[in-house]
Amino acid sequence: MSTEQTDQKPVFKTVSWHASRQNNKKRTWKGLKQIVSSERALPWPENVVHYSNINAPPSFKPAEKFSDLSGLPAPYTDPQSRLRYANKDEYATIIDLPMDITAGYLALRGATSIVG
Amino acid sequence: MEVLQFIDAKTVSDVIHEYNSKTKANSVPIIIDNGSYMSKVGWATCEAPLLQFKNLIAKPRRERSKKDTVEISQTPQLQVGNDIVNIEAVRFQLKTQFDRNVVTHFEAQEHLFDYTFTHLGINTENSVPHPIICTEAILNPNSSRQLMSELLFECYDVPSVCYGIDSLFGFHYYEQKLKSHPLKNTLIVNLGYQCCHVIPVIDNETIFENTRRLNTGGFHIITFLHRMLQLKYPAHATSITLSRAEELLIRLCKIAVDYREELNKWANADYYENHVKKIQLPFTAAVANSTVTLEQQKERKKELARRLTEINARKREERLAEDEEKIGQLLDIKEMIELGAEKETVEKTLAEFQIKNITELEKNILHLNTKIEKTKQKILAAANIEEVEEPPTKQTKYSKMAFESEKELHMFLQNIRKLRQEILTKKMIRKQRKQDMAKRRTAAGQERMRIISQLARKEKGNDDFGLRDEDWDIYKAISKDGGDSDSEAENEKLLEFDEILRVHEPSDNGESSNPGETHQLHIGVEMFRAPELLFKPYMLGSQEAGLSEVIAYVLSLFDEENQLKLASNVIVTGGLANLSGLKERLLTDLTSVRPFRSTVHVQIMKEPSLSSWYGARNFAESEEFQKKQITRKMYKEFGAEYFKTHLASNPFYPTPSASGGDIDV
Repeated sequence: MSTEQTDQKPVFKTVSWHASRQNNKKRTWKGLKQIVSSERALPWPENVVHYSNINAPPSFKPAEKFSDLSGLPAPYTDPQSRLRYANKDEYATIIDLPMDITAGYLALRGATSIVG
Repeated sequence: MEVLQFIDAKTVSDVIHEYNSKTKANSVPIIIDNGSYMSKVGWATCEAPLLQFKNLIAKPRRERSKKDTVEISQTPQLQVGNDIVNIEAVRFQLKTQFDRNVVTHFEAQEHLFDYTFTHLGINTENSVPHPIICTEAILNPNSSRQLMSELLFECYDVPSVCYGIDSLFGFHYYEQKLKSHPLKNTLIVNLGYQCCHVIPVIDNETIFENTRRLNTGGFHIITFLHRMLQLKYPAHATSITLSRAEELLIRLCKIAVDYREELNKWANADYYENHVKKIQLPFTAAVANSTVTLEQQKERKKELARRLTEINARKREERLAEDEEKIGQLLDIKEMIELGAEKETVEKTLAEFQIKNITELEKNILHLNTKIEKTKQKILAAANIEEVEEPPTKQTKYSKMAFESEKELHMFLQNIRKLRQEILTKKMIRKQRKQDMAKRRTAAGQERMRIISQLARKEKGNDDFGLRDEDWDIYKAISKDGGDSDSEAENEKLLEFDEILRVHEPSDNGESSNPGETHQLHIGVEMFRAPELLFKPYMLGSQEAGLSEVIAYVLSLFDEENQLKLASNVIVTGGLANLSGLKERLLTDLTSVRPFRSTVHVQIMKEPSLSSWYGARNFAESEEFQKKQITRKMYKEFGAEYFKTHLASNPFYPTPSASGGDIDV
């Protein structure tokens, strides 16, 4: 915290805390991923449930395919842009789309990996 | 069809509430529902939370170029919670203390607590002398709770703290209201901003090991909708903001009972036309302005032309007068000579006019005469033109075309349209061919490669390539633009056709009717597609199961008897519970996984986003609360992570020491 805070310090904050904060200006906070992984590394008793234990299971149903443009059920995929489309009108639109838009649609669907 | 407007609600700064002396004397607990979207704060004696603000701070970045000494006076203010009036202006500086649904960034949390306590009006020195009830995430990691306790005790010197889970507080509040039928077994479905939880409660005890968290929530729906609209309307990408997407989610979005069926309905053009919601983006009427200038330009051009002809006419008249004067003089001289004047004087006057002899004088007179005649004719012609018509412009060229009947015009236009379409198709085919040629894996590309390799393969001995003229045609076939490219003439033709169509069918151009129409967002399938994300996280690339699947999964972890108990009492809470159609959807999905004719019941909690606060407040009033607080003394004695469990709290597992495999309990 910069020095200007001294004047602004709300009355209800303790002096000792405030003083200690001024020394170490930058403190890095662990992100959730770090917290969870360090939590998992500890030798917990067996019955303990963690934050990381209650993640939803992966889906067992096959993912349906929807058109990237309209959201309608999409039986086709354009092999060049890899966008999904529902009918020929959409295809006509797709082939004219600029690269950044097609890339945006793919990124939105999370299909940017080359393998998938 | 009515066009909706964006409200673009601005946040109103919170007032600093009065710090009641009675509140102060009784040390009334402060209830903080610290949600990842909003924080709801109030005294335990309040009917409703006093403060509700988004858990956000806007921290302006320091400018690196400036030196520290100058900077102090110039650093812009840190904005917290509802102080952020225009959230889009500071979108890139926003910070929250949350990482998903867990508080991790305690510096931000400190700013938000400062804001909270300041606005409650607390003015005691060096302490906040009130017990705190604070909500936390389900299975909040110990380290996060530890830092929270540290902050509350060390920084604000609070007398005691009590932690609970928001959705459980909410559930108990709801349950107490329905005292006649105690809900001992419930499946709580909490739809939050960052996560959704499915929490089974059996005999009033939360079964943590069977709880599941879906890491998709309101935030994801909003960003999904935001990006989707940006991609649909790339021209308006900047005016489609996250706040507007949020507004759309609240105002328009619905959950489809049967998503497939809903999509099939929308695939129909008529249905789309009748049900699409149009929403207006703000725009400036620049289009209308330019049409005015177009008119003006025309006027101005005319005016200029008129002035030019005037000037020309004047010049001609002047010249005429000049010539007439000169010819008069010359004629005078001629007369003089004819009358037999002296040779000397004649030569003198001729020299004045730079004329050598009499023949030249004759010539000059003749020349001037014809000149005068010509100018006279010109003046006459100019006057006629001015009266008859103005200089024809390019546009009138087309509009001047007269047709004897409506039918003829129609035929003509149809013809033009056909020709235009032909050119367009030709262009498209060429483009397609070009694209195909460029890629190796297409049929066209492979054919090209085949021809090339054949050409190269020809044996050297009997190379008769080029003997016939047709041989050279092969290069047309393999050239990348397919032999012919878009010709200039074709483009010109296309422009001409467009122009003709524009002149004869101006109604085809929607722009002129309403300039705002181009700034409208059409929300069709999107209103169902965005919230459907809860049920299909794979639409955003997540591998997780959808909400219904998770509910079914959680149920499957119990024996049949308990499954029945839970399924017959599903309660939905959290901010997204207000989405219309949610209850029906959950009911249908749940019925489909339950045995035939077994009881299934789903209800939406009233005031789903505030119920946790009410629940926490009720808890503060109960006797139980007195026993469940962690006092300052306990904090010092048992360590920062220690807390007491209660009906709505997390389970407490002390963190084992990292050294060795020994488990100390």
